[in-house]
Amino acid sequence: MKQPQSVLIVGAGLAGARCAETLRAEGYDGRITLVGEEPTAPYERPALSKEFLAGERSASDLLLRPPTYWSDNGIELVLGWRVDIIRRRRDETVVIATGARARRISLPGAATAHVLRTLGDAIALRDELRPRRRLAVVGGGFVGAEVASTARRLGVDVTMLEAEPTPFAATLGVEVGDALARRYRKHGVDLRTGVRAVALAPNRVDLADSTTVSCDAVLLAVGAEPARELVGDGLDECGDVAGGPGHWASAAAAGVAAARRILGLDPLPAQPPFFWSDQFGLRLQLVGDPLAAAAVECEGTDESFTARYFVRDGRLVAALAANRAADIAAFRRELALAA
Amino acid sequence: MHRIEIDRNLCSGFGACADLAPDIFELEPGGTASVRAGESDDPRVLDAAAACPMAAISVIEIQAA
Repeated sequence: MKQPQSVLIVGAGLAGARCAETLRAEGYDGRITLVGEEPTAPYERPALSKEFLAGERSASDLLLRPPTYWSDNGIELVLGWRVDIIRRRRDETVVIATGARARRISLPGAATAHVLRTLGDAIALRDELRPRRRLAVVGGGFVGAEVASTARRLGVDVTMLEAEPTPFAATLGVEVGDALARRYRKHGVDLRTGVRAVALAPNRVDLADSTTVSCDAVLLAVGAEPARELVGDGLDECGDVAGGPGHWASAAAAGVAAARRILGLDPLPAQPPFFWSDQFGLRLQLVGDPLAAAAVECEGTDESFTARYFVRDGRLVAALAANRAADIAAFRRELALAA
Repeated sequence: MHRIEIDRNLCSGFGACADLAPDIFELEPGGTASVRAGESDDPRVLDAAAACPMAAISVIEIQAA
């Protein structure tokens, strides 16, 4: 397969970075340009809600590669520029790896709330997390829970507002959701379920039942959406921008896969989806996709448990380990056998 | 010859590396992987690095001593 003279990768998150790295590692010697809207070289986004907010790791600790890595490998890194229009050069391959952005629901005042997706978001939010300040978290998903966990450790009063009766019930099942809800409350989170925010302001959240939550800062944590503005004919897409679970591991694999496509190499064997979350002293690790599950089997205690997810015909489709890291490899093999 | 490094911040104990190259990588009881031998000329280290969902394994080509 003829290789392009140059590769332009738009998006300097994990998928874009892994694409560039893989091109070089596989011997591609054409020009590689990696363009990022954020001013920071590719970094570990998952740490933002955890060690970075907690002050345990600085921004420079989060860089995926040492600062000189990119130039040492002949990868031109162009940071701080948002790409609006692409004019492809002759014999150039363009990869769109623009990822996802934090979703902002169309509520009055939503623009005044913090979100957490970028290092810039995390820096702004970090300034709010001081002892005895009050943080309202709108949305009971993984980002919301991880920020709530970090905030509690920093002595912040946290109110978590979840629209469903049980957090995570739709993704992990009611039993796991109940265990997590108990954990949040045990760690002092004021978890309110079945409540819907109707308006946000910098210092309060108005709920559908006409009550108000007063606070010093609001975090809107209602998921992410693909940044698809640049997606178009003849452009390769990779990572969260192409949809999919939006997880760190899948973005990494997508970057590698895009590079291999460009070079005409065989794809690597697929790995099951993998996701992890650190919250309130629990390390949750999830392999597979539990959304299709019809039945859940749980085992263990609130401090350490596993959940296995089965579809109707009894086939295992996902498994969750909470503080049971040693079980993950076995789950992964079991899933591969069931597939 | 390859030098193998695991970014312990990124490693989340998926264990694909230990499956692909058990004599080079192992999973510790705490759930993170470690390298049994820091250097190897076994080509499976490249498979293990590529299979790591966290992109936590770096393989650096070095000149054999």
